[in-house]
Amino acid sequence: MIAARTRLEIATENLANVSTDGFRRIDARGFMTSLGVAIARSRHGESGPLRHTGRDLDLAIIGGGAFRVADARGRVSETRAGGFIRGTDGTLRDAGGRVVLGLHGTLRVPAGAALDAREFGLPAGSRLRSGFLEAPAVDAISEMIDVLAAERSFESAEKAVAAIDAVRQRSADAARVK
Amino acid sequence: MDRALFAAASGMAAQQRNLETIADNLANAGVVGFKGSTQSFAELIAPGGRGLGTVALGTRVIFAQGKLSHGGGPFDLAIEGPGFFCLQDDTGHRAYSRDGEFSRAADGTLRNSQGYRLANVRIPSDALSASVGNDGSVRATFASGARAIGRIAIAEFAAPERLRAISGSLFEATRESGKPAEVPPGTRGGPKLHFGMLEESNVTIVDAMMQILTAQRAYEANAKGVQAADEMLRIANNLQRG
Repeated sequence: MIAARTRLEIATENLANVSTDGFRRIDARGFMTSLGVAIARSRHGESGPLRHTGRDLDLAIIGGGAFRVADARGRVSETRAGGFIRGTDGTLRDAGGRVVLGLHGTLRVPAGAALDAREFGLPAGSRLRSGFLEAPAVDAISEMIDVLAAERSFESAEKAVAAIDAVRQRSADAARVK
Repeated sequence: MDRALFAAASGMAAQQRNLETIADNLANAGVVGFKGSTQSFAELIAPGGRGLGTVALGTRVIFAQGKLSHGGGPFDLAIEGPGFFCLQDDTGHRAYSRDGEFSRAADGTLRNSQGYRLANVRIPSDALSASVGNDGSVRATFASGARAIGRIAIAEFAAPERLRAISGSLFEATRESGKPAEVPPGTRGGPKLHFGMLEESNVTIVDAMMQILTAQRAYEANAKGVQAADEMLRIANNLQRG
C-alpha cells in the first residue's frame, strides 16, 4: 500500500507539471525488498522537445547542463526553463524573478548582444537555441494510466491486508475456543 | 496521499490560471496592436528535494511582431520592429501602444479610440491631406503645396516586458521597465513606420484554441489525480471493519 501511495504521489507530481517548461518527469521504479515492494524515484534522463516561441530571450539548451539562477536570498538553483526577461540593467531574470548567473557572477546581456552558451557556464558541446523553450518531458496519458494503476494496486493491497487480517482473526478465535 | 492530493490540486490551480491567460489572449485576438501573454510555471520542491506539484509564476507579454494589414482608416499607422507610439491623454498621462488606429480630432491632434493623442503631431486645420513616411516624418498638403509638419517618434524600453498593461494594447512605463528612449524610426535595423497599415494582434486563434484544449485536458487529468488520492484515503479509512 505504501508503494502504491508513492506511485500515486509521483504520478500526480508529474501530472501537475504537465505545462512546466524545462520539467523532466520523475520515473518510479519498483523493486523487491525483504519487507515487500519499495519505489525508487529518479529524474528522467531525456529532455523535452523544443517548442517554438519566437522570443529572442526564450532560450533552450541543446545538450547537457542547466542555467544557474540565484534568488533574492542568494540561494543558487539550476533550471532548464529558459524563458528570461531582461532588466533595465541588462541582467536576465527568470519568470520567478531569480537572476541568471554566468561564469563570473551575475550575467549581464546588453540589448542586441549575441548570447553565448559558454557565458552561461554550460558544459562544452551544449548549445543555446534562441526563440525556443524546452517543453516538459511528461506524457499526460501515461501519467494518467499510472494514477489508475496506483489506485488499483492500492485496492489489491487493501484486499490482501483484509485477507491477512481475516486469517489472523480466525486463528485468534480458534485459540479462544480451546 | 496528502502529498499526492496537494500536487494534483496545485496542478488544477495552475491550469486554471493558464486558462485565464489564454482566454484573455483569445478575447483580444481581434484588437489592433494587442500582444498576447503566456503563463509560466515552476516545479514546487519541498526542502529535501521531493516535489510538491507546480506553481503558476505569472504572465509575461510576448512582444512578437503582429501581421501588418491594410487598415482602410484615414490615419492608420503600424510599427515594424520594436517600439511603441508615444501617447498622452488630456490629463497629461503618458501611455504607450502599438495600436496605430488614429483619427484626426477637431483640434488637429491624432487620437486613438481611447482618446489618447499621438505626441508631437498636430495637423493644421487648413491641410487638405497628410501622410507619414517610413521615417515618421509627417507631411501635409496645403492649397499652397506640401510641407513637413512634424515627426512621429517611437519609444523603446530597456525592459519592455516590465511595462504595465492598462487596457488591451495600452501600456504605461514602470520603474522596472526603464524610461522610454525616443528613437527616430526609419534608421537601419531600427523600427519602421508604415502609413495606411495596421498591426494585427500577435495572437493566432488556432494556437489559442489548441492551448485551451490542452489546458482543459491537463486540468481534468489533475482532477482525476485528486479523485484517485481521495479514493485511496477512503480505502485506508475503511481498512478497520467492525
